[in-house]
Amino acid sequence: MSTGEKAAKNPDRPDGPAGGTAAGGAAAGGNGAAGSPRRGVAARVVGRIGGGAAQSVLVLIALFWLVPTFGLLVASLRSNEDNAASGWWNVFTEPTQLTLESYSALLDKPDFVDSFWNTVLITVPATLLVVAIASLAAYAFAWMEFPGRDWLFLLVVALLVVPVQVALIPVAKLYGNIQFGGWQMFGSVTGVVLFHVAFGLPFAIFLLRNFFAAIPRDLLEAARMDGGSEWTIFRRVIFPLGGPAIASLGIFQFLWVWNDLLVALVFADTEAQPMTKWLQSQMRQFTGNIDILAPGAFLSLIVPLAVFFAFQRYFVQGVLAGSVK
Amino acid sequence: MKAPKDGVPPAATAGGAAAVADPAPDPPRKRRSRERLTPPSWLALLFLLPALALLGFLVVYPIVYSVIRSLFDATGDAFAGVDNYTGVFQGRENLIAVRNTAIWVVVAPSLVTIVGLFFAVLTERIRWATAFKLVVFMPMAISFLASGVIFRLVYQQDPDKGVANAAMVAIHDTFAQDTGYPGAGPRGGGDQPLREDAGGVATTGTHSAGQSVLMPLVKVKPEYVPDGAEPAAQPPPAQAGQVTGTVWFDFTRGGGGEPNVPNAGETGLPGVKVEAVRGGEVVATATTNADGTFTMADVPDGAYTIRLPADNFTAPYRGAEWLGSTLITPAIIGSYLWVWSGFAMVLIAAGLAAIPRDALEAARVDGATEWQVFRRVTIPLLAPVLMVVAVTLTINVLKVFDLVYIIGGGDPNASVLALEMWTEAFGGGNDQGAGSAIAVLLFVLVAPAMLFNIRRIRQERT
Amino acid sequence: MAILPQPGLMKQYAEKGSLKPLSPDVVSEVDKNFSPYWKELGSSGDKTYGVMIKAAYKSILWYRPQAFSDAGVQPPTTWQELVTAAGTLQEAGTTPFTLAAGPDDSWTLTDWFENVYLSQAGPENYDKLAEHEIKWTDPTVKKALETLAEIWGKPDFLNGGVATATKTKFDESVTQAFGQEKAAMVYGGDFAAANIATTNAKVGTDAKVFAFPKAGDTAPAILGGDVAVALKDGEGAQELMKFLASPEAGKVWAGLGGYLTPNKNVPPDAYADPVAKELIGQLQQAGDAARYDMSDLTPAAFGATPGDGMWEALRTFVQKPDDVAGTQKKLEAEAAEAYK
Repeated sequence: MSTGEKAAKNPDRPDGPAGGTAAGGAAAGGNGAAGSPRRGVAARVVGRIGGGAAQSVLVLIALFWLVPTFGLLVASLRSNEDNAASGWWNVFTEPTQLTLESYSALLDKPDFVDSFWNTVLITVPATLLVVAIASLAAYAFAWMEFPGRDWLFLLVVALLVVPVQVALIPVAKLYGNIQFGGWQMFGSVTGVVLFHVAFGLPFAIFLLRNFFAAIPRDLLEAARMDGGSEWTIFRRVIFPLGGPAIASLGIFQFLWVWNDLLVALVFADTEAQPMTKWLQSQMRQFTGNIDILAPGAFLSLIVPLAVFFAFQRYFVQGVLAGSVK
Repeated sequence: MKAPKDGVPPAATAGGAAAVADPAPDPPRKRRSRERLTPPSWLALLFLLPALALLGFLVVYPIVYSVIRSLFDATGDAFAGVDNYTGVFQGRENLIAVRNTAIWVVVAPSLVTIVGLFFAVLTERIRWATAFKLVVFMPMAISFLASGVIFRLVYQQDPDKGVANAAMVAIHDTFAQDTGYPGAGPRGGGDQPLREDAGGVATTGTHSAGQSVLMPLVKVKPEYVPDGAEPAAQPPPAQAGQVTGTVWFDFTRGGGGEPNVPNAGETGLPGVKVEAVRGGEVVATATTNADGTFTMADVPDGAYTIRLPADNFTAPYRGAEWLGSTLITPAIIGSYLWVWSGFAMVLIAAGLAAIPRDALEAARVDGATEWQVFRRVTIPLLAPVLMVVAVTLTINVLKVFDLVYIIGGGDPNASVLALEMWTEAFGGGNDQGAGSAIAVLLFVLVAPAMLFNIRRIRQERT
Repeated sequence: MAILPQPGLMKQYAEKGSLKPLSPDVVSEVDKNFSPYWKELGSSGDKTYGVMIKAAYKSILWYRPQAFSDAGVQPPTTWQELVTAAGTLQEAGTTPFTLAAGPDDSWTLTDWFENVYLSQAGPENYDKLAEHEIKWTDPTVKKALETLAEIWGKPDFLNGGVATATKTKFDESVTQAFGQEKAAMVYGGDFAAANIATTNAKVGTDAKVFAFPKAGDTAPAILGGDVAVALKDGEGAQELMKFLASPEAGKVWAGLGGYLTPNKNVPPDAYADPVAKELIGQLQQAGDAARYDMSDLTPAAFGATPGDGMWEALRTFVQKPDDVAGTQKKLEAEAAEAYK
């Protein structure tokens, strides 16, 4: 059972022959053969070719998965007349169709550039605030004693699933009532940010609290005995150790807010609108202005994609956060 | 990201800490003179305050408000009781939205989970698993709105514009024959030499061997006339035992010209199959030449109808109606699949990786086939992960708004409850009572997941 | 300040009290420059709230002169001629129409209907129907729907058949006709010129208009328009409204093209666009028989909501042109609810 042992030592690297599970039919080519006489001819044959078949299927699937985004990219690199006349794949036969004019026209539009900055203005504070507020709260839940702590935490967990739809109308009313001089909460960037922070908190608190709770007690005790105040402990011990979790949380929240449409539709007016809302307002004439929509959509996804690829380790970690025991 | 926010909470963190017993005060609180080992409650409150304030105002209070608001009518003044709720199930469009939501909830999570499982299992076998996972996972990073734009492009009806139909037509056409002249037909009105005949065209009178037949067609679209077509010519004189004729497009540019006779400037139609029919039986056939003329040989004596069978005129395959009333919800679910399969795949792959090899080995040693191992050992061990994935997706599906809004583009056939809520309250319906009711309804539907979460947490803590 | 696309919507807001009435100064400017019908459109109850700052002329059909000359067809003047012309075009191998019957753009269907109805039933009945004093189950409505079915009911007359038409957006319908050259005619107001500009076709040579054919005794003149309203009191707002009501404002925009104004003191020469010049002449000629687009006069839920009311009822009619009675019933039901 050497393969079994090997696999047990490397549970995270199931490649090659050490890979344990088999798809229906694609037998783990050769491994575990020690002493399993009933694999059946069919299974063994499939096992031999299994690797190759799986590879080609996966290559096809990967290509297929890329086609839609690729189509958008190509469409954004063609002129409006070309897009109105034929599909984007014609570019392969007529490479001269490629042009950057749609992008330059788009970047000349102050509306679009403004909406880009709005997106940044909404997303960055929303992310930072969630991380900060949730860290404090999570620390309190993890390491501080107070009456009703467990019930309160359960309440926070319960809030994880609340759909934003429930809050749209009431908060709209609430914001409408908050005005100072000429400034109104409803329609402002602040309103959007606060809403995102509020709805990001349950998950954030949950994630961080679990993480913080795992920090060894001794470290905390030691820090306390050294006479540190809670705040110092938080800053010097918890925050640094919680790094990975905080990073995943930050990235999640960043992507979530950057890509949001519904909250922006309700709570942001034209001055405050992020790119998603701007794009949506352009959708009215879908084929008529594909020369605006395609580059706009593509530009709006560049930043999230970049963030994703740069931090994909944390990303996946965050997604995995705890679904597997 | 959108994923776990929808709420099935992590059972343990990536940091590896398994079910954590809470840091209960173990052995009695020691009170040393000047040091506190546990911070005072008021400090905890301070730490919690910002979070609780935001949650209270923007999440908890709204829930209560929505429930109350849903019991009033559009203006907010008159008590409406449960009218708003029953209203959700009344009216054709509302019922469509309810039906669609049901379809989404039943189909989408299971479909995505199965696809995720399929991918997770397959990627175990290849070296470039990470690259593949990145590719499939990537759509999660882009906004639903961009995905919506992307798929609107894909689903465009015209096979010249939309990649989905272009692919369908390409596949179809590799198996099907060339169509001839779709849409063409005989001239209407009385007293014409040709008439419609079961999708094709036939002569009104009969002809016999040794005769020529003129077969003028109209409604011929220029894009179907091949490059090699030549101007229509008079049919060659028919020898004994032959029937000759011309099939041509009987329309002169600019109108005018003599009908039913080949004029200068009128084009012949090549490649048309011609049959001589008597008593339902085809006696002779021919195909027209570049100038539209044809010659049928070996025609026995007797009277025949000369016919151009229907397959000369079949409409070309133009792909499927992706955004039509029947396919639109499946089409949008397809785009949802594109976005979320990566999520399912990553989670399930992690679950697969965590399965202890010994269990599988043991099963194999006991003589199970691979399939049995998969079914009896792997799947049950994966069950928790599959549940988490399915539940998360179900919650998420109930809220799906952007995709339906963008791809559906206002089509009531695509609508789901989450979209209806927005339309009723903000998008022109102006009825916040009804909007609140739908929101509360969504909340209620999601509540089981809430209980599921709570139970898991409490289980962990014991 | 806001610009609303429908007087019906403006009336709803005025009734709710969200709009500020125009000051007497502005009202006198309106009286100077606009005929009573236009002033009335911007009013609710006894007060005037809005200035009609932009008009759209909707009783035209755009066509491709090349397709017409290839088929030997002249621009028709009556509905019968239109149907015949469509048949001839079809015989010549050109699809006669593109139709924008997508859910977001079903307003084009309402415009077809209004042109036919006004022409057959006359201005008085038109007004009554707009106020819902005549029901949608009336025989005049039946006649109009049956007339429409003469074109809508022939799938070969529509580019791509019913399947494509019900998904086509307005700008697509224009680019299909003039950019891809897939059809000979398309319905669009004067504003379609802007869509044509995105293709290679030139307005005036590759794309021309003819007046919407008469289906009955009256030559239809249907107008759309945008109304500017003031949301807050204040000198600035009223001054701006006054300017908008004056001929100067109209002249500026007219020079830019793609625009018509109901301001009777803006001369036809101010218009840069030849088609606009032609249409403003027609508009001013129609005088009192001109009527505002009915679907913009009705409550928004009936006449201006995608997927709802009149839009969706007519869209369903395109898919089932035999079911006139059913369509009438649906229209009446939707109207009854919306006019409550």
